[in-house]
Amino acid sequence: MNSKVLSIRSKSFLVFCVLGLGWVFAGCAPAVLTPLPADQPGEPRQTEKTETPAEKPSPRALAALQLTDQGRMFLERGQPDDAIGILEQALNLNPTSGMNYYYLSEAWLMKGNNAQAAEFNRLAEIYFKDDNEWLDRLMQQRERIKKQKPL
Amino acid sequence: MTKKKPSIGVVLKRLFKWLLPLAALMGVGILLYCWHLSSQIDQRFSGRRWRIPSKVFSDTTLLYPGQQINRPLFNEKLRRLGYRQLVLNPRNKGELYSSASVVKLFLHDLSMPSRYREGVPVRIRFKGNRIESIAHLNTGEPMPILELEPEEVMLFFGPDREQRRLVSIDQVPQHVIDAVLAIEDSRFYQHKGLDPRGILRAMYTNLRHGSIRQGGSTITQQLAKNYFLTPKRTVVRKLKELFLSLTMETMYEKNEILEIYLNEIYLGQKASVAISGIGEASFFYFGKSVMDLSLNEAATIAGIIRGPNYYSPHIHKERCRKRRNMVLNAMHQKGWISDEELKTVLPLPIKTVGYGAYGKIAPYFIDYLSDQLKELYSPQDLSSLGLSIYTTLDTQVQMAAEKALKRGLERLEKSNPSLVRKEPGKRLQGALVVMQPKTGYILAMVGGRDYSLSQFNRITQARRQPGSAFKPFVYLSGLDTLTPASILSNEPVTYEVDGKEWRPQNYAAMTAKRVSVRQALAESINLATVDLAMKVGLDKVVSTAKQFEFSTSLKPYPSIALGSAEVIPLELSRAYCVFAADGVLPYPLSLKEVLDENGEILERRHVSIRQVVTPEKAFIMSSLLRSVVETGTAGSLRAMGISFPVGGKTGTTNDYRDAWFVGYTPDILALIWVGFDNNDSIFASGAGAALPIWGNLMNALPQYVSGDWFKMPPGVVQGIVCSESGQLALKNRCPHPVEEYFLDGHVPSDTCQIHDSESQIGRIIDELKGFINTF
Repeated sequence: MNSKVLSIRSKSFLVFCVLGLGWVFAGCAPAVLTPLPADQPGEPRQTEKTETPAEKPSPRALAALQLTDQGRMFLERGQPDDAIGILEQALNLNPTSGMNYYYLSEAWLMKGNNAQAAEFNRLAEIYFKDDNEWLDRLMQQRERIKKQKPL
Repeated sequence: MTKKKPSIGVVLKRLFKWLLPLAALMGVGILLYCWHLSSQIDQRFSGRRWRIPSKVFSDTTLLYPGQQINRPLFNEKLRRLGYRQLVLNPRNKGELYSSASVVKLFLHDLSMPSRYREGVPVRIRFKGNRIESIAHLNTGEPMPILELEPEEVMLFFGPDREQRRLVSIDQVPQHVIDAVLAIEDSRFYQHKGLDPRGILRAMYTNLRHGSIRQGGSTITQQLAKNYFLTPKRTVVRKLKELFLSLTMETMYEKNEILEIYLNEIYLGQKASVAISGIGEASFFYFGKSVMDLSLNEAATIAGIIRGPNYYSPHIHKERCRKRRNMVLNAMHQKGWISDEELKTVLPLPIKTVGYGAYGKIAPYFIDYLSDQLKELYSPQDLSSLGLSIYTTLDTQVQMAAEKALKRGLERLEKSNPSLVRKEPGKRLQGALVVMQPKTGYILAMVGGRDYSLSQFNRITQARRQPGSAFKPFVYLSGLDTLTPASILSNEPVTYEVDGKEWRPQNYAAMTAKRVSVRQALAESINLATVDLAMKVGLDKVVSTAKQFEFSTSLKPYPSIALGSAEVIPLELSRAYCVFAADGVLPYPLSLKEVLDENGEILERRHVSIRQVVTPEKAFIMSSLLRSVVETGTAGSLRAMGISFPVGGKTGTTNDYRDAWFVGYTPDILALIWVGFDNNDSIFASGAGAALPIWGNLMNALPQYVSGDWFKMPPGVVQGIVCSESGQLALKNRCPHPVEEYFLDGHVPSDTCQIHDSESQIGRIIDELKGFINTF
């Protein structure tokens, strides 16, 4: 009886060893890292439309640019309140445009509200992270915000 | 002795002796009375002449090539804006031609606080539901963007419930004045307030026809009657009318009197609201300004002065047409229109615009707005100053929201008849708010199922437990020490709260004892969430949530992790905006501008933002909440056709008392709540009850779907980790490596301990040793 039990245990042990080694080597088996398809469920996606560099502006972005331009013109005419109204519209139409944030910051700066100007300047940076020219302008704007005394 | 009769001369002398002073006395009395009247008239006319209700407007509507739109909602919008459908190309402002592939529109003028645009004819071509192009109808010049005028959504009426639009006499075209004078008082510029010739002519005409065809009252008399007197017909009143007319004529120029008259006259009824003045009547009947009225339309309005409801062009078309022709003939008789004009206009039909009753659009939104306006203006001012109040409301979103909620609740009742209540006040309820997360603009608000039954606004006034819809704030509090890949315990634990045992449970049974932060939020796993909250510390959870400015009490009980603390839905919605707005908490904006009747800006509200979370954390939270929709509890959205990236969270409270879904994209955010006011169970989860409403709503709003997702901000990095350990994945060893987002500096430094071969061999050896030791 005991020997029978022992033999069953020995067989189990052998099977366990084989499976265990198999498992160890299985862990080392893949030669290539598991690919991460963008649409694979359960995994974070990396590929986003907005992140594609040099992408042709969407019709929506082009429409929003018209509003941004109107806002800029209001600023040139020294009408920050009118500029803010139209730039908010532009922002709602295209929330990923850094220019709207930049000009909103400019408008608040003109109104003497440095806190709001700083907020919008900071937000603009998110959308200009790959654009050195605009980043320079943002930095200059930031300096101007720092220097201006709040009204 | 006969008494000698006094001679006639004596009698006359005596009479004269008595009458002269009497006449003089009467003359003085009349003069004094007229002087008294003049002060009354002056008081009435020199100050505010009319009570003009303030108007509430929606936001403008932007259209651009490439935009997807909901055609039925768009068509309905054009109808509400007063565009009249034609079978030909539009030639005048407010006219519209529409087919499946094209809309030709002669725009109304757009007059906004900061800009003005003259109405122009445009052509909008469609390809399916997408705008293919927008161009000027005549020149073909392409237009990259088109802005439709705001829609009038509500009027603040005073007790008199009058509606009028003031016009100055210079704005009224001559043919409109001629039409009015021809039928009401053709000798207006000749008489001095009273027209004996007119009275005689009216008497003759009426006797000749055996009926009252003409009135003898001059325009000045009519004005006196309307302004100062009761309709009662007495001699005294008639005398008073006479004196008032004469006084007015001496006080004012003819054109001033005519202007007051044209703004004063009653010209129809819109439900319980009186349409007063020619300016309002032009819009009410023909959807256009008085300046744009044609001869046909001018004659129609002039004709109905006598009996606006009897001659209503909306209801009694034939009667109205006959009356219009009477006006035209009178104008022709005076030589004010030519034979040709008469011949051309007489056979024309009278085409009016349709109308809807006032005050039925977005009533809960209007209530919310009114509460803010009450802080600025008294109810009397709102109903009399003629303010123009511009808001953030998008009526297309509002219509879609009301429809989605109605259908969603009906669907629930149909699928579970136990939810049906006989008493209307106890019916299953729902509420919904739609915002633009970056600016806090409130696009739509539905505070309940039926405003006529319950004005309680469940978006702004209700306090409900959010359940799992609160979890994002718990997870956010852990982002300083944990990452989306960190592993949480999913094992049951008993906590002691105020001396009592509290055993949180998962919504559904789970075998996994360890889950990642991402999975725990995606699948709304209660045990793991409580584990996270306890690791982070309840005080930290509460302090994080308080940054979002919830006005309700948040206390550091373990159950706060599962959303036991009540919140106001609008505040919850606003808090979610932070994730969608790079960490910025916007103020929920409904009021944009208030203008006085001269177009001067009295009040202006801008977007007000405050950073409460770093953009990096906001981005990571959005990424986690996207998993809720892609693989978690909101996965059924995909089956509803929502294929664009969405972040969101479901919520269900104990005994299914509340069902929530808050979902967002970079462009739009909507919160849905479903439940009973008395806390009865709805026997459905957030995913089952609220989520489908959100899906239906978004499907109805293609103009707000860009398909974009959030840009990864500086300060966020990506790393590949093992999904089992949450540590850096070992190349070729970890079977399920995933790419995960981390705050810069938070990428795990350790490699996967589970799939590390050395550690695996060591573990196997340990297991073997243990196994051998059993013998």
